Amino acid sequence: MDINYSAEELAFRDQVREFLRAELPADIAERVRLGKHLSKNDHQRWQRILNTRGWYAANWPVEFGGTGWSVVHKHIFEEECAAFGAPRLISFGVNMVAPVIIKFGSAEQKAYYLPRILDGSDWWCQGYSEPGAGSDLSSLKTRGVREGDHYVVNGQKTWTTLGQHANKIFCLVRTDPQAQQQRGISFLLIDMATPGISVRPIITLDGEHEVNEVFFDNVRVPVANLVGEANQGWTCAKYLLSHERTGQAGIGISKAALAHLKQVAAREGRLDDPLLRAQIAEVEMQLMAIEVSTLRILAAAQAGGVPGAESSILKIKGSEIRQAISHLLRKVIGPCALPFLEDELDPAFAGAPLHADYAAGPASQYLNLRKLSIYGGSNEIQKNIIAKMILDL
Amino acid sequence: MDFKLTEEQQMLQDTVARLVRDSYGFEQREHFYRSEPGFSREFWQQLGELGLCGMPFSEAHGGFGGSGVDNMLIMTELGRGLCLEPYLQSQIHAGGLLQQLGSVEQLERLLPVLISGELQLAVALEERQSHYQLLDVQTRAERVDGGWELSGRKVVVIGGHSAGMLLVSARTRGEARDEQGISLFLVDPQAEGLSRKVYPTIDGPKACDLFLERVLVRDTDLLGEPGQALAALRYQQGRAIAAQCAEAIGSMQEACQLTLDYLKTRQQFGKPIGKFQALQHRMVDMRTELELATSMAILAACVADQADSLERSRRLAAAKFIVTRAARFIAEQAIQLHGGIGMTWEYNLAHHAKRLVMLSHQLGDDDHHLSAYAELLHSA
Amino acid sequence: MKILVAVKRVVDYNVKVRVKADGSGVDLANVKMAMNPFCEIAVEEAVRLKEKGIASEVVVVSIGSSAAQEQLRTALALGADRAVLVESNDELGPLAVAKLLKAVVDKEQPQLVILGKQAIDSDNNQTGQMLAALCGFAQGTFASRVEVAGDQLNVTREIDGGLQTVALKLPAIVTTDLRLNEPRYASLPNIMKAKKKPLDVVTPDALGVSTASTVKVLKVEAPAARSAGIKVGSVAELVEKLKNEAKVI
Repeated sequence: MDINYSAEELAFRDQVREFLRAELPADIAERVRLGKHLSKNDHQRWQRILNTRGWYAANWPVEFGGTGWSVVHKHIFEEECAAFGAPRLISFGVNMVAPVIIKFGSAEQKAYYLPRILDGSDWWCQGYSEPGAGSDLSSLKTRGVREGDHYVVNGQKTWTTLGQHANKIFCLVRTDPQAQQQRGISFLLIDMATPGISVRPIITLDGEHEVNEVFFDNVRVPVANLVGEANQGWTCAKYLLSHERTGQAGIGISKAALAHLKQVAAREGRLDDPLLRAQIAEVEMQLMAIEVSTLRILAAAQAGGVPGAESSILKIKGSEIRQAISHLLRKVIGPCALPFLEDELDPAFAGAPLHADYAAGPASQYLNLRKLSIYGGSNEIQKNIIAKMILDL
Repeated sequence: MDFKLTEEQQMLQDTVARLVRDSYGFEQREHFYRSEPGFSREFWQQLGELGLCGMPFSEAHGGFGGSGVDNMLIMTELGRGLCLEPYLQSQIHAGGLLQQLGSVEQLERLLPVLISGELQLAVALEERQSHYQLLDVQTRAERVDGGWELSGRKVVVIGGHSAGMLLVSARTRGEARDEQGISLFLVDPQAEGLSRKVYPTIDGPKACDLFLERVLVRDTDLLGEPGQALAALRYQQGRAIAAQCAEAIGSMQEACQLTLDYLKTRQQFGKPIGKFQALQHRMVDMRTELELATSMAILAACVADQADSLERSRRLAAAKFIVTRAARFIAEQAIQLHGGIGMTWEYNLAHHAKRLVMLSHQLGDDDHHLSAYAELLHSA
Repeated sequence: MKILVAVKRVVDYNVKVRVKADGSGVDLANVKMAMNPFCEIAVEEAVRLKEKGIASEVVVVSIGSSAAQEQLRTALALGADRAVLVESNDELGPLAVAKLLKAVVDKEQPQLVILGKQAIDSDNNQTGQMLAALCGFAQGTFASRVEVAGDQLNVTREIDGGLQTVALKLPAIVTTDLRLNEPRYASLPNIMKAKKKPLDVVTPDALGVSTASTVKVLKVEAPAARSAGIKVGSVAELVEKLKNEAKVI
C-alpha cells in the first residue's frame, strides 16, 4: 500500500502548477477566493485559456480533443486548479452534454457541437428539473409532439443554472405520453434563440441571479436535434447524471476554502480561541478522511473498477464538509458578515471594501452553498442509492 | 498510489481471518472471557506458532519486519472476532517500546521469547490523574545502589494480570508534567513491593491496577537513557493508535454486517424493517462513517512506522479522532436499529458496541486528539 | 511419488453472494475470492503425504485468470513445492477443465492427482471423474481417508448412509470430501517462503487444448427468502410440532 502519488504523477502536478502560476488571471482567482460573483466573461476567459493549452475537455476521449488523462491526473488537475483559485468549470457543456453526445450522438452532432463547446461558441444550460419534477425527475411533463421533421415542445423547466448566459439548452421532454414514466422521454438539443422560448430569472436567497425558469411555448425543434433514439432519453439522462456525480466531492475546492478560512481566522485574530480552533481542526480532519476515501475510489477506478455507488458517499460527505467550512467562515467574520454589500460582490467592483476584502462574500456564499446538498441528486436521494446499490436493502 | 494488498498480505489476512473464525465463535469467546486468564492461552500460543507474534519485529531480531499495514491486517481480524488477547498491548505497544529503547542485552534476552509467544508484555503508563497525558507521571523512581526503587500507582494496565514483564513509566527527576525526567522500566510482576488489583474491563479484556511500593528494579532493566523516555512513549503510542484504529475497523465492519443482516431479517408491519426509509438512512450513515474511518485507519497504518514528524503526529491524531467518533456512532446506531435484542448480553452485537465505545478510553479519546490536532494547527 | 493437486479460485465461502440484476450470474465486482474449500483439503492431504515421506513432490495447478496466482501462492504457502497456472479468461466448464488437466498430467506424469470433489461456485462434481476417464486412471471419489500401501491406494469413500473402502492401482485420481482432513493455517514463515517457490504460467493453446464450451448458463436465481419462524409456548408443544407438523421425530 502506498498513499503517495507516483513520480510521474508528481511531475504532472508540477506541470499543472506551473501552468496555473503563469496563466490563471489574478483578478479571477481573487474573486473566487473571496467568494464574489463571476461574470460571464470571467468564465469565458478562463475557458479559452484552458482550451488553448488543450486542457479544457479533460474528460473527453483524445480523438475529440480530450486529454487522455487518467482519473488520478484529473483529480490532481482539479485539486490544483482549486488551490490556485481557478473558477469551477461550468460543466453543462463540456462535462455534461458533451459526454452524452460522444456516447449517444450522431456523427453530424459530434462534428457540429463538440468543436463549438471547445472554442466557446456555445454556452449550454440544462433543461432537466421542472416545477413538478425534482428528485422524481422522470415525472417530468414538458411535452414534445412530433410534427413532420420537428418536435413541438411545450412546458416549463426550472432551476436552470446560468440560463441567462446560454445559447443552447439540452432538455428531457416527454415524447410518448402513453409509455411508463421512464420510457417515453427523449433527449433534445435546443437553440435558445428558437421562437417560443422565454427565460425568467429566479433570485436566490443570497440576492444572486444564478438560476432561471425557462418556458417553452410551441417551440419547434428539428428532429435532427434528437440525441440517441426517440423515447430512450432516460438512458442519456442517467449516463449524464453519473458524470455529474463524479468529482462532486470537490475535495480541491474544500481544501482551498479551508486554507482561506484559516487565513481569515488568523487575520481576525481568532485562532487563539480554542473553541474555534477545535472546530477548524475537526473540519480539517474530516476533510482528510474524505480525501483519502476519494483517493481509494480513484485508485480502484484506475485499476479498472467502476466508481459505483461509492461516489454517492463522496457526494454526501463532500457537500456537507464544504457547507461546514462556509458556515465557519461566516462565523469567523462575526458582525461584519451582516452588511449586504451587493456592489462589493460584483465582479466589476474596484473600490475600497467597507470592512475587509474577505468580509463581503462569506454570508452570501454560505447561503448559496446550501444548494450543494440539493442538486445533482439530493443527499437523501444519494442515501437511497446507497441503500439500494451497496446495502441491497 | 496503491491501496492493494500484496499476495503475502492477502495470505496473511486469510490466515488470521480463518484462525479467528475457527477459534473465536461467540460461545468460545464467552468461555475465554470467564476463564482465569480472561483470554485463550491456546489461541495466543497459536499466534506464536504461526509467526504472528513476531510480525511487528525487525528481521534482524528474528521477527518478520511487518509494516504498519501488516499490523493493520492482523488487528482488523482480531477486532472482527473481538479477541481478548493483549496482542496490541504486548506485541505492538510494549514490543515497539522494547525494540526502540532496549539495549542489545535486553533485546537478546526478551525478543526471542516475545516473538515465540512465550512472553507476554504489558504497558503501564496511565495514572489516576494523567488522563492520556504521557508526561503526567507521578510514579517516582529513586536512585539506589545498583538500581532504582519505584513507588506509585498505575491504572488500567490491559493484560497486566497475565504479563510476564511490565513496562512501567516513572519519573527519575523533575515535577509532574515535565517533559524531561520520565524513564521506562522493565518490572517483574512478582517483584517484592508490587501488588496488583485485577478486574475485567467493561468491554471484555482483563486489566489491573499496579501498586508499587519501593519496588527494586536493577539497572539492567532500565530501558534507554534515564529521563529520556517521553519521545519513545509518544512515538510508540502512535503505532498503538494505528493498530487500535484497525482493530476498531474490524469490529465496526462486523457491527455493520450484523445490523444489515438484522434489517433484512426482522419483520414488523408485515415487511423487513430494512424497507423503512428512516432505518435505511441510518444504516447508510453507518456505512458512510465506516468508509471514512477505514480510510483513516489505512492512512494511520501507512504513517505509523514512518520517522517521527509533525505530519505523522497530525495524521495519527486525526485517525484516532475520526475512528473514535465513527466507532461510537456505529455502536449507538447498531443498538438502536436492533432494538431490545441489541441490549442483550447473549447477542454478539452488544459486545461489539461495548468495545467500540470503550476503545476511546485507551490511548486518548476524541477530545484529547481534537485538542492535540488543534494545537498543531498553529505550527502547520 | 509425485502428486498433482488442482485448485480453483472461487468466491470466499463467507461471502453472501448477490445475483446480478439481469440473472446472468453472480456479481463478482469487489467480492473477496479464495481457494475452494475442498481444494484446500486436497492440498493439505498432498502435503501430509509429503511430510510422511510418501510423496516426493507436490505440484499444484489452477486454471483461470492471472488472479488465480493468489490461490496458487496460498497452496505454496501451505506446503506445495511448485505451481502451474493455465491462464484463461474464458468461462470453462468441467470438461474443458478436465481436458486441460489431462494435458498437465501428460506433462507432469504424476502418480496421484488430488482434486476437491466439487467447487462451491458451480457445484458440478464432475471434473475429477472426467479427468479419470480421460487419463484412464482409477478413481476414488468423496474420500474421507487415503492410505498408500505399496503401489496401491486405499481410499475410504463417503457414500449414502455409510463408508466404502476401495483399493486403487496407481496412477489414480482422488477427490476429497469434507472430513478427509482439517487444513492447516499458512504460517508467516511459510507465506514468506511461498514467494520464492516457482510458479509457471502456460496457456491452453500451448497445451494444445480447445476449451470451447458445449454448455451455456441461461439463468441464475437467488434462493427464495426464508419464511418467518413461529414461537412455541412449551417444550410439549415443540415436541408435538416436531412430531406431527415437521415430522422429523
